[in-house]
Amino acid sequence: MNDGDLQRFERVVLPHLDDAYTLARYLLRDEHDAQDVVQEASLRALRYFDGYSGGDARAWLLAIVRNCSLTWRKKRRVDDRTIPFEDAAPLPTSDAEAPDAAAVQASEQARVQQAIAALPDEFREVIVLREVQDLSYREIGDVVGVPIGTVMSRLARARKRLAVLLQLDAREAS
Amino acid sequence: MLCDMCQASLEARIDGELTADESREIDRHLATCPSCARQFATLSETRRLVSENAMRYTAPDVLKARIRGAVARMASPPVVAPKTNRFRWWREVAAGVAIAIVSSGVTLVAANRSGTRYSAEDELLASHVRSLMPGHLTDVLSTEHHSVKPWFNGRVDLSPAVPNLDAAGFPLIGGRADYVRGRVVPVVVYARRQHMINVYAWPSSAAGGAPPNDLGRNGYHFVTWRSGGIEYWAVSDLNAAELHTFVATFAAAR
Repeated sequence: MNDGDLQRFERVVLPHLDDAYTLARYLLRDEHDAQDVVQEASLRALRYFDGYSGGDARAWLLAIVRNCSLTWRKKRRVDDRTIPFEDAAPLPTSDAEAPDAAAVQASEQARVQQAIAALPDEFREVIVLREVQDLSYREIGDVVGVPIGTVMSRLARARKRLAVLLQLDAREAS
Repeated sequence: MLCDMCQASLEARIDGELTADESREIDRHLATCPSCARQFATLSETRRLVSENAMRYTAPDVLKARIRGAVARMASPPVVAPKTNRFRWWREVAAGVAIAIVSSGVTLVAANRSGTRYSAEDELLASHVRSLMPGHLTDVLSTEHHSVKPWFNGRVDLSPAVPNLDAAGFPLIGGRADYVRGRVVPVVVYARRQHMINVYAWPSSAAGGAPPNDLGRNGYHFVTWRSGGIEYWAVSDLNAAELHTFVATFAAAR
């Protein structure tokens, strides 16, 4: 790889390290694993930079991060049942008293965070790519490697679950 | 429009994936169908709550430095002419001419350079540049000083300081054993942005400590200081000011 390619890599790909790290945090639910995977993914991206044909560099990097995360999970044999629900506080109920805006905000964040963490892997990744990374259906399909129709159905099912976890549909029904 | 058709498009409507015409059609149906409108409201609220409250993380600086360091290592090292200030261009030309004329040119150059003996800086610069070639920087790749320091045991005969300087913005990259100035020495590697800093250590012949002394050449900076019976040399293409900050932080961390 020549210096021009390296400079292009630094300019085009490296600005997205925060997004790469965010995705890895959600997929692996561990900050140290996320760091290792993002480093590995970045080096892999560098190695395969020849194959990057332009287009959205962020989605391209996120796809590599996702693949590295899956490999990492398999290698580590992370068992979803061992994901620490117990260190998460119980979901605050929606009718809890709301003393001030900051506390409400904090509790909303905690509720959302726990709800996302509770989703199965294939739902969590589409939700994060859509709501956090703001990718289009097509880009999500490219990152995950599924047709757009599958992206749509996973997103729909993921949101239904989130609505239940966040007690939005209950509120709706009452 | 039928409710089934509407519901199949609600997600796409919310995610802005429909054309203007399609969106208008959905909106018309929602205006007349309370059941679909309720679903739409739940969906919108879910979307809003999640996208507004989900965490966006920032990659730690250490991670970014590690990655930029790895990228920098891929870069071709700068071409360094092995010359000193005392070795003027015309002497190179003269030596070149001599090589062309005299068959034992190699001997002549060696003789010519022996007048100025390879200095510590020459060897360190060569070692530093070599270390930047792919695969040469570290033997032990670790950002954890507790694993770098013991790695030197049995490989080199002195135990260099391996302070944790993450907080000061100098993440540890790793360590290696190198052969410089006639002996195997420990080298601890730190990073600053995309710049690498090699810290070499020798047993000091002089007692006590010594303040940092800066010797720059060919765009590289060398800072040497003594501490705890060890002579340290930091070599980097980092600018002099930041290298001094690094040395001060390193020395203070002991």
